[in-house]
Amino acid sequence: MADKNRKHRPQALKTQQTLGDMLAERGVSRRSFLKFAAYTASILALPPTAATAIANGLAAARRQSVIWLSFQECTGCTESITRASSPSIEDLIFDFISLDYHHTLQNASGHLAEAAREQAMEENRGDYLVVVDGSIPLKNDGYSTIAGISNRQMLEETVAHAKAVIAVGSCATFGGIPGANPNPTGAVAISELTDKPVINLSGCPPIPEAMTGTIAYLLSFAGIPELDHLGRPKAFYGEAIHDRCYRRPFYEKGQFAKSFDDEGARQGWCLYEVGCKGPVTYNACATLKWNGGVSFPIQSGHGCLGCSEPGFWDLGGFYKPLSAAKDDALKYAAGAAVVGAAAGAAASMAVRAKRNKLLKAAQAAVSDSGKEEN
Amino acid sequence: MPGGGAPCQTNRLTGMSRAILAEVARMLEALAADGTTASIDLRSLPMTDADREQLEASLGRGEVVAELEIAGRSTVRETAYAGAWWICHRGANDRVSSEEIAVCPVPEILASHPADIESAALRLKEDLLENHSSQAEASNG
Repeated sequence: MADKNRKHRPQALKTQQTLGDMLAERGVSRRSFLKFAAYTASILALPPTAATAIANGLAAARRQSVIWLSFQECTGCTESITRASSPSIEDLIFDFISLDYHHTLQNASGHLAEAAREQAMEENRGDYLVVVDGSIPLKNDGYSTIAGISNRQMLEETVAHAKAVIAVGSCATFGGIPGANPNPTGAVAISELTDKPVINLSGCPPIPEAMTGTIAYLLSFAGIPELDHLGRPKAFYGEAIHDRCYRRPFYEKGQFAKSFDDEGARQGWCLYEVGCKGPVTYNACATLKWNGGVSFPIQSGHGCLGCSEPGFWDLGGFYKPLSAAKDDALKYAAGAAVVGAAAGAAASMAVRAKRNKLLKAAQAAVSDSGKEEN
Repeated sequence: MPGGGAPCQTNRLTGMSRAILAEVARMLEALAADGTTASIDLRSLPMTDADREQLEASLGRGEVVAELEIAGRSTVRETAYAGAWWICHRGANDRVSSEEIAVCPVPEILASHPADIESAALRLKEDLLENHSSQAEASNG
């Protein structure tokens, strides 16, 4: 990173400065903005020509206060967003935000940590972002507490004056593994407990670029990106893994691995018949990939688990083909292997529509049973 | 997880590079006709390694190569077709963070930004004053 202006570095970051001025004082040139913007435009599936608008928007923006709440979760989402091992262009996002509360990453603990959250809420009333990972237990508030405050209470009081809420990970977006059958804690998604706009970034964990890209979009364009019917940014969740998979041509030709060590697997054929959920899973793994673009599960020889879809844990087994799934709706996808891509897309839509209906009914049943127990 | 593993089969040509070349040709025509600039985001396309190698070989190398050190290495390389530039930005551990083919007279990232020029002018003026003061002190002392 450019270092020529280091002697002008201020003693403390000034929150009222624009990001452009703030980073200029630290020796970060506008080329850095442009490079970050090119990266952001790429991950947001915007035309590369949008990079200039993103760079200008970021340079004029103020540092964004962010409060990160962690509830019933495994910390995998935090691991995902902090995965970089050395300072890089991707990490500029951490200069653009002020992470005022994150109980895993912050130094303060106990009452001091909670005081930091309250101070950030007070000083940035109506203008702070709340990022949530983890689901909320509704059967009993005592199942998960932080500093003696129940998850539900902390969520309600923190989002009350937030500008927007970002739910990261399949636990916060759909209940996730805590919500898996029989859902012992009555885990629910964040969107069920607030009327604030919620951007869902599903995945177990979500791709880090989905998190940094969404925050960069909010800062650059001062608005929420276009979302799909599950509240997820279309830039990352607009297409099925299957549609962008490099093994798709084998699917079209009907060439499938039948086991993980047969000739088809060695030839890199389609993993549909060994349980790949790519045809019904919407995420950007096939294009953005993981670990800085190194690979993604299908490229490494394993089928997609469908981790960014609602209820993925309960959908009939990771190694069973969609055609053998226990749910009749999923059997529609079996036709895709036989009749080709067009029918496959239609089958996928039918599967998703029916599955979401079934999941909503299941969630309602869980919710009702929770109310009865309480 | 079942044992064994599948190799990464990325050595097959899918025809993607031919499609991209045709797109670049259309963009160059537009640039020549009315100055319209455009770009193609290479990371968003499902290219195999073989596709990528074919595309690079087809576009060839032009007269200009620029290396930038901006939070990681970036390279801006003119292709054998003037006006078509291959831009690669790298981030942590030299991994590619974004890659595009830009069709324009000069990629924007090569130009100095007015805000940086303003800052540079101020900095040089301050450095000159500082040097002048130091020299004056040395000659007096």
